[in-house]
Amino acid sequence: MTIWFREHLFALKSAFTHLRAGTGNFLFNVLVVAIALALPIAGLTLIENIRPISSQLSIEPEISIFVSPDTPRESATALSLPIKRLLKEDGITGKLSFIPKEKALSSMQDSSSLAEVLSTLGGNPLPDAYVLSLSNNDAAQLDRLVEQIKALQDVDVVQVDSAWVKRLAALVQIFQMGLLFMAITLGVVVIVVVFNATRLQVISHQAEISVTRLLGATNSFIHRPYYYTGALLGLLAGGLALGAIAASLAPLNKAIAEFAKLYASEFRLTPLGILPSLGLLAVSMFLGLCGAYLSVRRQLARAS
Amino acid sequence: MIEFDNVSKLYAGDACALRDISLTIQDGELIFLAGPSGAGKSTLLKMIAGIEKPTSGRVMVNGQDMSKLQAGSLPYLRRKLGLILQDQKLLNDRSILSNVMLPLIVTGAAAHEAESRARVALEKVGLVDKAHALPLTLSGGEQQRVAIARAIVNRPKIILADEPTAFLDRDNANKVLNALKVFQSAGVTCLISSHDEQFLDQASRVIYLNNGQITDAWNGNHIAA
Repeated sequence: MTIWFREHLFALKSAFTHLRAGTGNFLFNVLVVAIALALPIAGLTLIENIRPISSQLSIEPEISIFVSPDTPRESATALSLPIKRLLKEDGITGKLSFIPKEKALSSMQDSSSLAEVLSTLGGNPLPDAYVLSLSNNDAAQLDRLVEQIKALQDVDVVQVDSAWVKRLAALVQIFQMGLLFMAITLGVVVIVVVFNATRLQVISHQAEISVTRLLGATNSFIHRPYYYTGALLGLLAGGLALGAIAASLAPLNKAIAEFAKLYASEFRLTPLGILPSLGLLAVSMFLGLCGAYLSVRRQLARAS
Repeated sequence: MIEFDNVSKLYAGDACALRDISLTIQDGELIFLAGPSGAGKSTLLKMIAGIEKPTSGRVMVNGQDMSKLQAGSLPYLRRKLGLILQDQKLLNDRSILSNVMLPLIVTGAAAHEAESRARVALEKVGLVDKAHALPLTLSGGEQQRVAIARAIVNRPKIILADEPTAFLDRDNANKVLNALKVFQSAGVTCLISSHDEQFLDQASRVIYLNNGQITDAWNGNHIAA
């Protein structure tokens, strides 16, 4: 066993000895830090749940063109020619896909919980349709194109699908930025809490520190137990915050399920995966270590 | 060898603890620093341990100039010293065995090795049977002997004892001094500060301090005034 390893083992033991001597204070600090960490972790959990939905949706402008319900299939398929001509005239590039009403019905039955309702209708209520995906994002040009398509014969409804997706993406981005600022602020709070806890611990161990210094202890030897205590505080607080958020999802999901049912969705919040959780534990441990490091350096520099 | 070369120490407010001290201490000497309280005895010992730095002059310990010693090197020098302080500075929440093990633990010694050496040191001061007692359950003399065991466990070349017999009765004070004499006979340099003159005849040299100055010295013969 190397000296380095032995010194760290002794520091870890000393950290636990200090904790045993002040268990109440330590647990209170864990609780305070856990509360500070819970807010950004909750936000991150929400973003991680929303992100897959928003990324699956296309942000490129997409126009759905619904053909009048009574239009024969030949006329519906022939509609692609005037649409392509309009695109060419306006200098817009895009991909036009024809979606027959049978395919639309089958897709709807597969991807939503409306299968039972659809089967009770007896026939296919959906019209033939086109989906026009555009690479151009010019709103004015897009509006003009929509008006031109609306004027074509056999066209019933024209719908621009991209606007709400863009809004959702923008909202997610704003939320992410807000979360980042909140995480930074609360990270500072965590450092301050650990800094103060360590400061009090160093003050209460002043006699022990001065004795070990006289006996030839290096600064590293004296500092190390406090680093371990700070890191342990961060780790336990991170674990507590993650556990509390994961536990709170169960009752929250009950309420969300009721709400999602109204939109024929089965959306539910899931806890963070193993890797993000481990990452967060590492970050909270690091914040605890930072707080302890800054505090010990300051206190012991003053003392010596 | 320890050398003081024209060493003076001024504290804030121009209080002078040591004035122009020049002194050479050879390896293996048992020296008493005598004199009244405030004479500068503790300051002189603290300078050897690197706790205080001289305002002027030079303190050399085993060839090392203490003024030029880097802060990072000081712990390694202290590991070669045995410090016995007036108030012992024992950690009251740990057993005396743990207290005596501490100088070895700070050097990174293995726990089992530190424990066996600490037991040997406690045996030398006659306290091995109380290894697991807490310091506050011991008498003043026993606590002082624990401090001696802690000072010698690292097999130091120099032992610095600041008033080790203060607050002890004559019987306990004799036990403490006899323990120190055993180490001196093994070649360890011992510097003992004391304002109690009843033990001075046991020293190989006595240095009298008053108002921060050496006023007299004696090694069986009168050697300075």
